[in-house]
Parts: sequence; C-alpha cells; structure tokens
Amino acid sequence: MKVTRKKSRSKAAVPRHVRAVPARAAAIAPAPVSLPAPELAAVPAPAPEAARLVRVVLGTSCTIQEASAVRAHLLAQAAQSGPYEIDGASVEHVDTAGVQLIVAFALDCLEKGVAYKWSGRSAVLEKAIELLGLGPLLEYPA
Amino acid sequence: MSLDLTQFHEIFFEESFEALDAMEAALLKLSAGEVDAELINTIFRVAHSIKGGAATFAFNEVAGFTHVLETLLDQLRAGKRQVRPEIVDVLLRSGDAMRAMLVATQRKDAIDSASVAKLRAELERIMSESSTAAVPASAAKSATPSPGQAAANAPAPIPGWRIKFVPGPDLLRHGNDPLRILRELATLGNLRVSADAGGIPPLNDLDPEVCRLRWNLEVQGEIDRAAVHAVFEWAESECELTIERIGGEPASTHVVAAATVQTPAAAPASAPAPEASTRSANPDGGSIRVSIEKIDELLNSVGELVITQSVLSQLAAPLEGREAGELRSALAQLERHMRALQESVMRVRMLPISFVFNRFPRLVRDLGQRLGKKIELKVTGDTTELDKTVLEKIGDPLVHLVRNSIDHGIEMPDVRTAAGKSDHGTISLHAYHKGGNVIVEVSDDGGGLRKDKILKKALERGLVANETELSEERILNLIFAPGFSTADVVSDVSGRGVGMDVVRRNINELGGHIQIFSKEGEGSTIRIRLPLTLAILDGQLARVGKEVYVVPIVSIVETIQVTRERVCAVANGGQVFRLRDDYLPIVRLHELFDIEPDYIDLLDGLLMIVEADGKRVGLFVDELMSQQQVVIKSLETNFKQVTGLAGATMLGDGRVALILDIPGVITRFQAPEERGLAKPQAA
Repeated sequence: MKVTRKKSRSKAAVPRHVRAVPARAAAIAPAPVSLPAPELAAVPAPAPEAARLVRVVLGTSCTIQEASAVRAHLLAQAAQSGPYEIDGASVEHVDTAGVQLIVAFALDCLEKGVAYKWSGRSAVLEKAIELLGLGPLLEYPA
Repeated sequence: MSLDLTQFHEIFFEESFEALDAMEAALLKLSAGEVDAELINTIFRVAHSIKGGAATFAFNEVAGFTHVLETLLDQLRAGKRQVRPEIVDVLLRSGDAMRAMLVATQRKDAIDSASVAKLRAELERIMSESSTAAVPASAAKSATPSPGQAAANAPAPIPGWRIKFVPGPDLLRHGNDPLRILRELATLGNLRVSADAGGIPPLNDLDPEVCRLRWNLEVQGEIDRAAVHAVFEWAESECELTIERIGGEPASTHVVAAATVQTPAAAPASAPAPEASTRSANPDGGSIRVSIEKIDELLNSVGELVITQSVLSQLAAPLEGREAGELRSALAQLERHMRALQESVMRVRMLPISFVFNRFPRLVRDLGQRLGKKIELKVTGDTTELDKTVLEKIGDPLVHLVRNSIDHGIEMPDVRTAAGKSDHGTISLHAYHKGGNVIVEVSDDGGGLRKDKILKKALERGLVANETELSEERILNLIFAPGFSTADVVSDVSGRGVGMDVVRRNINELGGHIQIFSKEGEGSTIRIRLPLTLAILDGQLARVGKEVYVVPIVSIVETIQVTRERVCAVANGGQVFRLRDDYLPIVRLHELFDIEPDYIDLLDGLLMIVEADGKRVGLFVDELMSQQQVVIKSLETNFKQVTGLAGATMLGDGRVALILDIPGVITRFQAPEERGLAKPQAA
C-alpha cells in the first residue's frame, strides 16, 4: 500500500511502530468522551485497563449521510491527547466516505506520532476496509 | 452537511425507465433474429446500471432481481448460452417486472414479490440448464488447443485488467460509492486493490463528501472489457479512469482498450475540479431535465404576458397622434416577440411521438404471437412532435386501435394466403403535420370492416331504424357507438364493444377528430387529427348579448346570414337550416347558456356552421368579432367542468371569455333526446 504524504502533511512519515502507546501516555488521565450525534453510540464507562486511552466509538452508521457528524466526533476526540482506541464493533453501515474519515483520523495520529489501536471492528467494517484496499493502513489488530 | 440520497431517486427512476425502453427495443431486435453482440451488451448495460443504482439507493428487491437477470445476460454475452426465443421472452418479461418494481418503489407501493419470485425462478431454471447449445469460440479454442497453440505452453500473463481509478470531487455526492464499485469488480474476478491515501488532507481540512482516495486495481480472469467498463458506468463521468489489459497488448487494438475512458486530466486533489471539465465529460451535457411543472409555470407566465400585451394593444387602439402611432408600432413589435416567446416555450413542451410509438413493437409482437398471426409493424414519422399532455393522452387510444387491428383487422396466415395475400400482415403507424395539426394514422392490410355486418348489428341493437339509409361513412362511424362490437368471439384482447366510443371520446376531449376509412378485403385506416397543443387555441370571438365566446377556428366550417326561406321548423319545436343539400339544427347559444341576446330573430344575427364528430350544427350568435390566439385557462381547475365549455380566457379588455367545446355544445343541445344514433341526426 502506498501512502504518499501530502504537502500539508509534510512532516516525515511516522514509522508504524510508533503506534505503540508512548510512555508518557501512561500519565494521561482518561478524557471524557462527548458524542455529537445520536447515530454515534454511547460510550461505556472506561474500564480500568483502558483508562489511559481516549475511546473513539463509531456508531452503527458511518456513511456519507452521517459524514459531517462522524467527522465532528472524530475531531472532538482528536482534540484530546491520545492515545486512542477505536471501537468499530457496532458499525452496521459504512461506505467510502465513512472509511475515508477513519483513514484521515489514523493518518493524523501517525503524523502526530500518537498511537491508536482498534478495540473491535464489525464484519461490515472489516469487509469495507479490505475491499477498499485500506487493510494495511488501518492494520487490525494493531 | 449530510447527503440526502432521496433527491436522486427521481432521476434514477426516470433514467431507469428510459434504459428499460432501450432494453426492450434491443430485445425486440433480438427476437426478430438479429443477434448482435452489441445488442446483448446494450441489454446487459441496462441491467447492470439499474442494479448498481438500485443497490446504491438500497432498493434491494430491484437490485436482487436484476442481479439474477444480469447473470443470465452475462452468460449470453460470453456466448455460454445461445439466444433463443424462450430466453428473449423471459428477458422481456423480466424487463416488465423491473419496470413494475421500479414503479412500485417510486410510488412507495408494495412490490409484487410473488410474480418476481416466479420470474426469478424461471431465470434460474434457464441458467441451470446445461449450456451445450453454444460453445463460445474463445472457449472452444482454449479447450482444444491447436498444435500450434499447444506449443505455446509458455506461461502466459494472467489475463485481466489493470485499472486506475481516481474519483472526482462530486463522485460521492452523486451517490457513486467506490466501495460499491469495488465490490462489483470483485464479482468479475480476482481483485487486487492498492489504495493511495496520500491525497487525504488532515481531518480538520477534509471535506467528508469528497473522495480523496484513489486506487490502482487489478481484476484477474477472462473478463470482457465491457463488463469492467460497465461497473464504472454510473461513475465514469465523475472520475479519471484508465483501463488496460494486464501484460500489455500487442498491436493497436489494445491502444483502444487502454484508452482513458473519461476525464483526461484529473484535477489536483487539493482543489475541486472545475465544474466545466466534469460537465463536458457528461454525455447528457447538451440537455437538462426540467420538471413539467416548471415549464407549465413558465407557460402560464407567458400566457399572462400575452393577455397584458393584448390589454395594452386595446388601450392604445383609440389613441391618436404621432406618439400613438409610435406606441402602436412598438406594441406590434411586442406582439411579435410575445408570439416568438410563446412558441419557444411551447416547443419546450413538445416531444416526439416516438415516445408513444415505442411501445408498439412489443405489443404487436406479443399479441401477434398469442393469436398466431404473423404481423409486421411499420412506423413512419415518429419524430413528429406533439405537446407532452397530448402525447400522454393519445397513448391509450392508440393502443386500443392497434390491438383492434391485430385482433380484428389482420387475418390468420391461412386466411390471408387463401385470399392471395402475403401470410404476413402489416400494421402501419404514420404521423405527420398537416395544417397546424398532427395527423396520426393507424392502418392495417387486413380484411377491412364489413359494412353489412356492422349494419346488421346496428339494426339488431336498435342503433339505426330499419328504413334508414346510411352513407358508407355513417355505417363505418357506427363502430364508435357505445357498446358496439361486431366481433364474433369476445376475447380478452377486444370484442366487448367497450372501446371505440371511449377512443373517440378521448380524442375529442383532446380537441382532436377521428375518421375511419375501410375497404373490405384490403384493410382499414383510422386517421386521428390532433391539435399541436392544448395550451393555446386559435379562436374566433363571437358575441351574444354582453357575453363573448371563443369558438375554436378548427371547428368552424363557415359563417352565413340566414334567409327566411331556408329555415324550417321541425317536430320537436326546434328549427333547422337548409344548407345546400343538408339540414342543420340551429343552436341558439343564448338559450343554451340562458343569457340575454341582442337578437332573437334569426335574420338579425349570424349563423356559424360548426362541426364536431362528423355532426354539423348552426350556432346562432349576435355578431362576429376578431380572431385571436387565446391562452386556455382550465375551468376544471379554477371552477368545475361544464358541458359545452372547454375553458376560459382573458380578453384584451380584461373580460373573461368562455371557450366553446363544440362537441359538448352539440351534446348539450341534444341532451333532452340525445343518446343513440337512431334519433334524427344533426347532419
């Protein structure tokens, strides 16, 4: 898979291994998660072992129809210091626009050197990522 | 911003219906024995496009059924199955089923799942049959390689296609999802996907409705280029697409195969592509779809302008002096421009009559087959244009006439042969312009109408009196009487006698006229004269007391001054006027509409001889005024339907004038004793 950085992403590409949670992340308190749109699932209370991660929970539908809301949600989460844990287990409907937003989020993480990992992906999401050829970029399990 | 896909539904339905028409036309050519790869490709593309669109909009039943149909078409296209009449028949019925499903979906009605399932089972049964009927040339070659070929056992490159797919900025917004495209590609063969996410900007800068991903794809297998191309059919005007054969191609044929399909240069990913470049790649770039309501609004506004211009002309008429002359000259210019504008707007509403004629090849084929008749359909003048409203209303009457011709007109092949005719009958549809009208003729070279049989039936039914001597034309016109049928056997095709009267009524309601010509043993012709439009009318203004009526010029035969010796009283208290060798009933408009006239004595006013449905009457009016083109305002919409009135219009002085509907006037006049042709006739 080829990831060509845009000029706007002019920093050197971050090697994949930096996705491991950086040591300083351990000190980061869990951030509360707010959900901007009803289609985004409610976030369960963070489990003690996940307390250091910002959980990004994708709702049941991640299509172009919810794209603005999903983007706003991802931006809100990205505003908090990572690392992040993406939960795509509930996704039932997804299209290219939805996957592209996840890719943008992942690329932002790579660029900032902030780790992210997946806590789960639904079969629908998994298949979409695979068909779009984005499996290597959105590697799972991280 | 979220995207509401429902806004594209209507476009999808419209395009799908048009595509189904094209599919039906291609299938009919196939059924006529013209097996051509391009025809099958056309049919395949229709199914494929509809499937893609239906899947995009989650019309799952349509998509599911079309997928099965597409699979069969793919087999035909690949030569794995031979085109035979049974398959064409199932395909035609599948087209009907798709249309019915789309109509139901469009109307949000339930789909007739039982019929669809039955047809689907038929398609699957055909596909399950062994396909030994035809072995495609390519398959035969690969199965039994020639000695020369056998020598060439060197590893050949994996067959397939390499595709570069760069979505344009509007691809997602227009409902074309690359995920769906890739999913479809994967059904063609082994798909290898390499995504390039380099164009994706930071999330903060990303427009979520613009696709910044691009792909290099390889689809492997013995796949027809058209199949690959078809996957991108809905998206091709909105992406940069290059399709080339894997392993490169010798010779120039593959230069074509490798040609860039659309949009030669991709816009930089960071900037939206110029709208024009996308538009120019669009095959529909030369036209736009506009709802008929918008055109009607425009036409209505133009109508109001015409009235205003008419008011101005009337106000300027009595003025005197140099300025008044200049004003009148400017108003004359305005009138010319108004007329040009009105004609331009009217032209927008015009559609070729092929929209109606296109349904007949199928009808003639199906019905001919069912009745065991060999029939050829000839269509001429199908580019003749008619107002959309007229076109919509003419469809059913024409279907009735063609069905009648097939059922009653064209004889069975053995009868034809015995009569010294070709065993193939011919039905002709002919449309042409004549004197501001459109003429549509439906002819057949069948047995013609049997006048003796018609007369006998009419006598039996009491439609004519025993002693009545009828002209040939009158006898033929009896077939338009309600409930009249000479068919020996009533079938579900025709013969119940509920039809020709409805046909004539429909034509009359359109302001048209129907005539019948027939010669026993040689065939019949039904000629329909239709107005070009229902929105404007050339009218003669006639005054009765203080009221002004508009009489359609097309209905007026002549206008005369009455002389006493030509007027005779008749038994029912009415009067008739002798015009040459005919006696015409006199219709006093003031009595009909209960108004106060200037003149009661026939000698003081004028008699307008008007004609409708072959009947002539004399309309008694006080005086004739000018002739003018009037914009018809519906009475039905603004008030209610009134027998004898076709609508209303506004005159130059701001008064409302009622437009007479001559057939209705005659009906209203005859109302007390009208019904049945045995009564004394108008003409």
